[in-house]
This record gives sequence, structure tokens and C-alpha cells, in this order.
Amino acid sequence: MRKSRLFVVLSLSFLLAGILAAGAFAAEKVFTIAYNEEPQTSDMQMTTSCYMIPMNVYDRLIECVTTAPGKSALVPGLATKWEVSKDGKVYTFYLRKGVKFHNGEELTAQDVVYTFDRMLDPKTKALNTDILDFVLGAKDRMEGKAASTAGLKALDRYTVRITLEKPFVPFLAIMASPQASILNEKFTRPLGNKYGLTAQATCGTGPFILKEWVLNDHHTMVANPNYFRGRPQIDKFVVKIVTDPETMRMLFESGEIDLFDCDFAMSQIPYFTSHPKWGKQTVSGPRVGIYYYTFNQAIKPFDNVKVRKAFQMAVDRKLILQKMFYNHGQLENGVMPRGLIHYNPNQEKIEYNPEKAKKLLAEAGYPNGVDMEIALVASTGSQWQKMSEIVQAMVAKAGFRVTLKQMDEAAFYATRKEGKLPMYTNKWSADFNDPDNFFYTFFGPKGTVARSYNNISPEVFAALEKGRSETDFAKRGKLYADLEKKIVIDQAAWLPMFSLKHIYVVQPRVKKFVVPWNGWSDFPIYETRVE
Amino acid sequence: MGMNDPKEQDLTLACCAAGTCEEEESIAPPSSFLKDVVIAYRRNRLAMVGAAIVLILFLMAVFAPWLTPYDPYAIDLEVMTEAPSWSHWLGTDQFGRDLLTRILYGTRISLVIGIVPTLLSMIIGTTLGLIGGYYGGKTDMVIMRLCDIVLAFPSLLLAMVVMYTLGATLVNIFIALAAVGWAGTARVVRSQVLSLKEKEFVEAARAVGVKNRVIMVRHILPNCLPALIVLFTLGIPGAILSEASLSFLGVGAQPPTPSWGLIVTSGKEFLFSAPWVAIAPGLFILVTVLAFNFMGDGFRDALDPYMKQ
Amino acid sequence: MLKFILKRLLISIPILIGVTVIIFFLLNVVPGDPVALMMKEHISVDVVARVRAQMHLDDPAIVRYFRFLAGALRGDLGESYKLNRPVTSLILNAFPNTFVLALWAALFAWVVGIPAGILSAVKKYSLPDNLFMGFSLLGVSMPVFWSALLFQYVFAVKLRWLPVAGFEDWRYVIMPAIVLGWSSAGIIARLTRSSLLEVMRNDYIRTARAKGLHELPVIFGHALKNSLLPVVTVMAIQVAGLLAGAVITESVFGIPGVGRIAVNAIQARDMPLLQGAVLFETTLVILGNLAADILYAFLDPRIKAA
Repeated sequence: MRKSRLFVVLSLSFLLAGILAAGAFAAEKVFTIAYNEEPQTSDMQMTTSCYMIPMNVYDRLIECVTTAPGKSALVPGLATKWEVSKDGKVYTFYLRKGVKFHNGEELTAQDVVYTFDRMLDPKTKALNTDILDFVLGAKDRMEGKAASTAGLKALDRYTVRITLEKPFVPFLAIMASPQASILNEKFTRPLGNKYGLTAQATCGTGPFILKEWVLNDHHTMVANPNYFRGRPQIDKFVVKIVTDPETMRMLFESGEIDLFDCDFAMSQIPYFTSHPKWGKQTVSGPRVGIYYYTFNQAIKPFDNVKVRKAFQMAVDRKLILQKMFYNHGQLENGVMPRGLIHYNPNQEKIEYNPEKAKKLLAEAGYPNGVDMEIALVASTGSQWQKMSEIVQAMVAKAGFRVTLKQMDEAAFYATRKEGKLPMYTNKWSADFNDPDNFFYTFFGPKGTVARSYNNISPEVFAALEKGRSETDFAKRGKLYADLEKKIVIDQAAWLPMFSLKHIYVVQPRVKKFVVPWNGWSDFPIYETRVE
Repeated sequence: MGMNDPKEQDLTLACCAAGTCEEEESIAPPSSFLKDVVIAYRRNRLAMVGAAIVLILFLMAVFAPWLTPYDPYAIDLEVMTEAPSWSHWLGTDQFGRDLLTRILYGTRISLVIGIVPTLLSMIIGTTLGLIGGYYGGKTDMVIMRLCDIVLAFPSLLLAMVVMYTLGATLVNIFIALAAVGWAGTARVVRSQVLSLKEKEFVEAARAVGVKNRVIMVRHILPNCLPALIVLFTLGIPGAILSEASLSFLGVGAQPPTPSWGLIVTSGKEFLFSAPWVAIAPGLFILVTVLAFNFMGDGFRDALDPYMKQ
Repeated sequence: MLKFILKRLLISIPILIGVTVIIFFLLNVVPGDPVALMMKEHISVDVVARVRAQMHLDDPAIVRYFRFLAGALRGDLGESYKLNRPVTSLILNAFPNTFVLALWAALFAWVVGIPAGILSAVKKYSLPDNLFMGFSLLGVSMPVFWSALLFQYVFAVKLRWLPVAGFEDWRYVIMPAIVLGWSSAGIIARLTRSSLLEVMRNDYIRTARAKGLHELPVIFGHALKNSLLPVVTVMAIQVAGLLAGAVITESVFGIPGVGRIAVNAIQARDMPLLQGAVLFETTLVILGNLAADILYAFLDPRIKAA
């Protein structure tokens, strides 16, 4: 061959090789996000807040999926069908056959029994036992009085029977929450307390396998080719741990991460939505969750219902929604937010009326106004702080003189647990699609103290218990609607603010991103598509 | 600034602490001390600039209410994060508060945070250093061990834990910063005392029957004054920067206090859309710290002949 | 010399014990329950009570302290409350990151600071002198998180020359090292300058000059050797300080080092982890000071001659 032709052939082959190589790399679809806290464990029984790994590495008996914005449905997961006995106490789950764990073992009923019994085993020191509290024999198991849980039984290789002490209607919805993910007995039992601390010590049935984990730096999940629903489109899912929100945002703007959760920079939402490039890249979904302010009835002046009602009327919630959150949400007036089953669109609204508030305060015995505190967790840049500072200025017009009391997180939660925390604000997103998740959490007998409401009301407690076991759908809806009115209007036990959309910004290469049904910050990426 | 970095004042007196410089023989600084120092100081242009800036800052702090028509705490949601304009010379922050006003009022806080903890730690440090150095023996050992412990402790962490324990108020910041800062002063004072107490004038005073306490205060302490002046002026910027670091970690001044460090930290979120919120107070911190550093350098140079031969 | 080192090491032990006592006392007095904190919004008082009992958190303070001390003397610093992993391995895994960062910051400080100081002293009051001293003063006067943010904004977001945060390869170290090392560089430069000026004023230098020796050899031969004495001791202390205190830099640049672990431990009321991190950092500082003193004794011409 002549030299020049040789040269051409060689360079073309190099070019081809280069293209193929680049193609091979480009073919690997990687989805990178930033997370602001080290999850520290992949064991969903040992963490109450970091569920990104469990939602992608495990499956549950039932799954809750987004069917339309703000709408969700319970669909079969690891269980193809289930039956509930007439008395509402016995649940039978028929498992899907042929589902493999990442270690090659097949999913059997024994795995399910083992997983839930492990949660209740005192040696596990699990934190999420409340999802199984009402299973028959759970209390004895947790107190160490029994070596196994009476209500958990494997009828045969693919059938699980769970018996409850009392009927508990939210049970199916709870089985779809990440805390109820299923583990493999053969893999998990020998690891004991070491389960979930490394990538090698994690095993589930989910669409992704936890491959790499550098503590406080990042963790990586890779696609599970044998996933029973089919291999995910994304090959690699990288989660970087970035505690600083501004750094996170810079990582996004420089293209190093594919998704930015605007919860970390809510004040920047207008910047993103009006940006020439990012404006088209926002994805949002409603949050089945509610922002609220609490009243602690054990601390004056909020022992007086008139004072509480006055405060409810002294906050211009609409203005806050507009100015702080750019109207990306809606006012809430009850306990159940939009999107939740049994949500009551006809709940009585709370009005904004500072003059009336002032009059009520005077009637309550505080004609010259009253001093009060709002507790804050000291983390600057946080929306809570800003909102409370605004509220502080607003309620002054009605006569409430607010002092902001800063504490660090640990002190905050410790004081709250004792029932001694003054007013504070937070948000709650649904763990599972049932009103009980809201009502019982805040106004149940233990929760009302542990969350510093101290709304000690036997009627409310009784109604809550009844709601848990009422199997008639319509009756249940009415029960919760009435209870809502009682708590928010009659007793003025808290101040509901609004529910906000959860807004994300994604890189152009992300072709599809589904916001989870409840607007959570932890999400499964099985449905996500990247270029 | 790495809080465990040897502080400027510790370094400049490092040779003194190591006891390798010879002390001047004197009963008390000569009466022309003040005059000589001032003359030497005034020759240093940077030091004069520093002093001028500090003076301006003091005036800003005192006359803040008269210098601005705005209330630093008044929220106005209609004008959130507005760019600098004729009505708001440095723009507004995320609550619609005039930034220049917040910074002016913040001067008070920064100066107080700079001066009070430094003063406190100097008082504690000097007292303990005097006692330990003079009496020696077990007392000295205990004080020195305590010094060692505090100095070895990562200071930012110690300040954090103290703040968490006491709660986040301005007074507690003073306590936390003083608790971390006293040991450096104590060490330096102690080494000065050690070399001074064997001098003839001290022996003479003791022979005459002067009480120990009087000797310490009347005779030894004045000789430590040059070192103390430098330590003080160079300690102030350290305290201001430390408080800014504590604010960054969430345990410094609390909102809505217009502390500069806090304004910078809360403005971090708006670095892209409203950078003036984070940059302006940061510049003020920088200028203030520089000014005190200039002054400290000026004092150190002017007091140089009095600190070592 | 050996006796000196041994004596210093012996004194270090009560210091370390004192440090652990302070932390233990403070963390017990600080309000906050690590288990309630772990549960956060999903609190259940029953679970908290049960888990606390299982972790022996309600035992009397003295019992808990001596249990910790006994373990520490055996080399077992216990398990982190929050991370459920042995404290020793957590710290040993994080230390290399802090070490790399501190090393590069120190190198930056020395490589930039010393020549800057020397040049400034030689060309006193000239433009380079003012520039270098200005740079040094800036380094010492800027809040670290402010300069970190500006660096990130300019070099990572706007210019796209460097990555924003993380710790994957050498490019990730550049900005944090400079941000962290700038103030150290400033201190070294100023110290070198003043020390060199000091020495150049001395009689024996004047004598050497009078003898007719040329400017350059005079400086580098005599003055430098002696003026670097305090600088070198400060360098040793600085390394220890950098290793122990890069908390804010690690935080803003996302470097998984010991400083970040310590701050997280405080926030989570994670006593074992905090004890471990502080003991570790304190040991480094003690060693750094010891090294400084040894160097000083070693290099001081007066002691050498003696």
C-alpha cells in the first residue's frame, strides 16, 4: 500500500476505535444526584429518614405509584394479590414466583416472615417498629418475652399470613412504605448488626444493586439485569453526599449532577423558573404533605383556646405563600392535605383577620398583647427560620410579641420529646396514603406529648382508634372530616399553613423524571430516563 | 482561618515565650513611654490608616441610628433582595431589610464581639499567667496543664460544644471565645513573669516587704503591657473571624441579629441572584480585620524596643 | 534529648485524659438525646426508650466514662452511636483525606510564603514587598467560608476550570488547599519577613558585611539560617493545626475528612465518635508542638553550641 493510503486507513481505524470507545462510554447511562446527608445504613429498619437506597435496592409487598399528579394507587409489588379477612384482622399475601434477590436466592414467604420478625426483634434495635406495632404478638416480641412473632406465618413457600391484634385499615398502605422493604433471610441473618453498613452487606430484590459506598463521599448503585419487572434503563446511579446547599447548586450548574432539589434553595426557585436554560428543565409534583405551626397547650398563653384561635387569625398565610414560595402551592386548612385519601375539600377555612385576633386576645385576658416564643433549629438558609421571622413580624400586629428561640437539632428534638418545646414549625409528607399517618402522628395520645402539642383530648383519642378499625370507606371519610373540624376549628390544636409543590430542576439529558406520589425527597429512579 | 493556626500575636511573641530574648531592666516603664510609643506608631502609615478606619467604625457604630432612616429589623416583603439603588445604597436582603442599615448596626455587634471576648480572655489569661508564673510550684503546674489542655483542643470544636451547652446568645459567644482564647495569653504572660521575677527590682521590693499581690500588679504587670497591647489588638480580628466561623456552623449570633458573619452566611443562598447580600458584609469584615491588623502591626513595631533588647 | 521527649510524652497523657473529661462533661450537660435525634420527625417515645436502654445510655455518667476510658486504653474507642461503625476505623478512613488536604495546604503555605517573605525583607518597602504583604494580610483577614465560596463561584461555576466539590482526584485538592493554606501562607510570609529583617539588623551580620562579603551570600549564608528558626517551628505547629482544624474547608468543598466527622458528631451528640475525633486531633497538635520544640532545640545555634 502506498504510504498515504496506509496513513488514511490507520487514522480511520483509530477514529473508528475512538468512536466505538466513546460510544461504549456514552452508552452507559449514568444518573448522578446529590444528597445532603450520609444515609449511614442501607437497612431501612434502622433509619427513619434516608430512604433513597431502600427505594431503589429493595421492593415491598405492595407499591404505591403515581398515577397522575397528586394521585396514587396501591399496586402489586412482591405480592401479586392479597386478601383481607372480613373482621379486618387477617391479611394473606400471595407472593410472586421466581423473584431473585441480588445474591441469587429466590424470594419466599419465609423471607417476608423473617424480615418483619427481625424488625420486632429487640436485638436489632430497629427504629421503625411502629409499622408493625399492631401485629399479633408484636409487643411480646419487642419486649423479649417471645422468641418469634405470633402473627407472622409462612403458610407455604409463596404465601404469607399476617394476623393483627385489632383491625387496622391503614395496614395495606403501610406495606407500601420503604420501611416495609423485604430482606433475604439467608443473606441477612448471619450478618447480624453489620447488615447494611457496606455495599457488600446489602442485598435486596430491587432494580438496582448497591455496588460501591465511600462513607461521607458517595455511593453507587448499578442496574440489576435480573429485575423481575425488567432491567432499568439507567445503568448507574451515583449519589454524592454534599452537605452544603450552595455547593450542591454549583455542582448542578456546572453539570456535575443531573438533578437539583429546589427544597435546598427555595428562594432560588424564581431564578430557575425564569432562567433561559433552566426554566424549561423544571419538573414538579404536588407534595402530599402539610406545613404547619404547633401550639403547646402546656405553655402559656396557648393553654387558652381563644389565644390559639387568635394566633390562627393573625398569620397572613396567603402572603407568605406568595412571597416566600412564589405561589407554588395551596393553602391548607385541615389536617389532611390534598392528595390524601379522604381529603375533605369542604373543610372550614381559617380566615386572616388581625383585628379579630386582637379582640379575641383581649377576651382571653390579654388586652395588651402577650409574649410568646417560637423555637427554631439553628441552620441558616433554612426556610423555617425565614418563615418564622416573617410570622414574628406579622403577628405583632395582633399583639403577639414573639421571641425566636434558637436551638441546635439535638436540643430541639430532646426538648420536644418531653413535651416542653414552645411553638415550632415543620412539614410532614405522607409516609403512606392514609389519614391515620397524619392524625395519629400529631394527635394520638403519645404523639401529642412527644411533639409538644399536649392536646390531651379523650374524644380525639377515641375517634383515632375508631378510625383505625373502621372498614366502611364512607363512614371512615366522615369520621376523619369531623375529627379534622374538631381539631383545627374547635380545639385549634395547630395552625395548618399550606402544601407546596416539590420542584426539581434537571439537566437536559434527563428525558424523564417522575416525582414520587407524595413529593418525597427520596425516590425510586426505575422510571427515570436519561440520554 | 484555621483556628488552630498559631495566632499572629502568639507568633510575634514566640521568641519571648521561648525565653530567648533578654528583658529590659527597669522598675517601671519610663514616663515618656506613652509619648515614645505614639511617635513611633505615627510614623507607620499603615498603622495610621488602620487607626483611622477603626475610628470610623466606632463612629458608625455609635451613630448608626442617625446615619440611616431604616430600621434594621423591619421586614418588608415587597422589596426582597433588591439590587443597590438610590433608596437602598447596598440593596436589600431576603427580608426586604436595607442592607447598609443592617451592616451599620452590625458594626456594633462586630466591634463588641471583637473586643469583649478578647478583653475577657486577656483578663483571665493575664491573671492566671501572673499567678502561675509568680508563685510557681503546684499552682503553676496546674495552670500550665490547664493551658496545655485548652491549647491542644481543636478550638473551633471546643467553641461549638460550649455554645451548644450554653445556648446561642451573644453573651455565650463571649464566654465561648474567651474560654478558647485565654490560654495563649496566659502562656505569654507567664513566660514574661518568669524572666522578670528574678530581676533585682523584684527582689528588692520583696526584701522591703511589699506584698506579693502588689509586686505582681505594680511592678511586673506594667512590664508586660507592651506584649499585652499587641496581643489585644491582634486578638480582636481573631475574635471577629471566629464568630463568623461559628455563625457559618450555625452556633454564632442568631437571627435577626445583624451580625456581619450571620448576614454573610444567610446571604450564601443568594450568591447568584443577589450577591451583594453576602459580599458587602464580607468586605466589611475584611476591612475591619485588616484595620485591626494594621494597628496591631503598628503597635508591635512601635513597642518593639520595649519587648526585647 | 531523649529524656526531654519522653518527659513531654508523659505529660501528654494527663492532657489527653483532661480533654476526654471535658468532652464527656460537656456532652452530658448539653441538652440532646442521640436516639431521639436519629428518629427526628418519626419519633416514637417507646422506641427511643427501648433503644436507649439497649445502648446503655441511661447508665450513670461515671460508669459510662470509665467504660469508655477502659476501652480507650485498650485501643477500642467504641462504636459511633449514629453510624454504628467502630470509631477507630471511621477516623482512620477519614484521616488520609484530611492529611492530603493539609499537606497540600502546608506546601502551598511554605512554597509561597517563605520566598515571599524573603523577597519582601530583601526589597523592603518596594512594590513586591507591598504586594506580598498585602496578599499575606488578605489571607489572614478573610473568613475562610467567604473565600471558599468566591473561589468556587469564580473557578468552578463561571470559568469551569476546576470541579466544585468532592474528593476524587488531584484537581479536587487545588481550591481547598489554596483556600486553607492562604492564611498560613500569610502568617509564614509575615514571620519570615520580620524574622529576616530582625536578623539582618544584628551585629554579626553587620560585621560580616563590614568584612566585605557580598550582599547575596551574606543573606543566604548567615541571615537565612538563623531567621528561619522561628519560621520552622511555626511550620511544625501549622501542620498540626491544619490537620486538626480544616473543618470549614472540608465542609464547603465536601471533603470527607476528620474535621467534618467531628462537627457531625457534635451535632448528632455522638459521644464516642466525638471523643475519638477530638483525641485524634489533640494528639496531632501535641505531636506538632513537640516536633516544633525538638526542631527548635535542634536548630538553635546557642543550644547547639552548648
